[in-house]
Amino acid sequence: MASRTEIANGQIIPSVTKAITEKSILGFESTGILNLENIHNNPELAAKRLGTTYTLASGRMSITFAAECLRKFFGPEVFNHTGTVNLKFLRPVKAGDTITVTGAVNGSQETEDGTQVSVDLFCDNQDGNRTAVGIGTAIIK
Amino acid sequence: MADAELKVFAYEDVVIGEELGSYDYILTQEMVEAFRTSVDDPEASFPTLGVKHDATAFAMVYTDPIGTVNAGNEVEFFNPPIVGKKIIVTGRIADKYLRRDKPYIVIEATAIDEDGRLLEKLSTYQLKKPDELGKKWHPEQK
Repeated sequence: MASRTEIANGQIIPSVTKAITEKSILGFESTGILNLENIHNNPELAAKRLGTTYTLASGRMSITFAAECLRKFFGPEVFNHTGTVNLKFLRPVKAGDTITVTGAVNGSQETEDGTQVSVDLFCDNQDGNRTAVGIGTAIIK
Repeated sequence: MADAELKVFAYEDVVIGEELGSYDYILTQEMVEAFRTSVDDPEASFPTLGVKHDATAFAMVYTDPIGTVNAGNEVEFFNPPIVGKKIIVTGRIADKYLRRDKPYIVIEATAIDEDGRLLEKLSTYQLKKPDELGKKWHPEQK
């Protein structure tokens, strides 16, 4: 786990690169409890609602990828109990894409519970297009 | 909840603060494994993200013929869920607004387990006019 003295502004966090496949998109959807048809698992619905020829990966997959980067940086004992992820989705992610999540520490502030460290987060596809952007945080003692 | 009891979603009728479905389920090892495989992370700690607590709460109250696109998520993590435990979820409409003439709603969901441990708070910004995004992504498709 990164300790307080090891974290500095501009510090790069571990990145992850994920291959998005139809199987991974459907697998993620299968975790749900309602078996709902949506733009992630029904191409006809995606075509009707979005005009796309493909289904979209859930934005929550990118949230999970970003959480993995932050968990590896802060350590699970910190991130899993104090972490946050806030992403804005900019472009669709679909099967065949490869998403890389990167980030860097952009500051910290003292709170009642410790020092809250903020990390800028970026999700980019294989073409270098940004698919999501946001901020993650965790509180270190 | 039976389909016959679902309300048809209409943006203009939604009230900020409106309670959505409250429900519970048991987190199974199969759910955890399906989630971790799908995100290629054997240590992924919050399979609750795959359950989509907010969208599930919404779907327990509304049917939405127009559909939605997720414009953003804010997630707070408090404690990883434990396999075999009951997870209790409450959802609400936290906000609604127009941005560039496009309608958005914000759905919040909070999850605790059967022992009262706070697990996760999730907010989703939903664009309730998904065809607009489709045109933006694929301007050749009029």
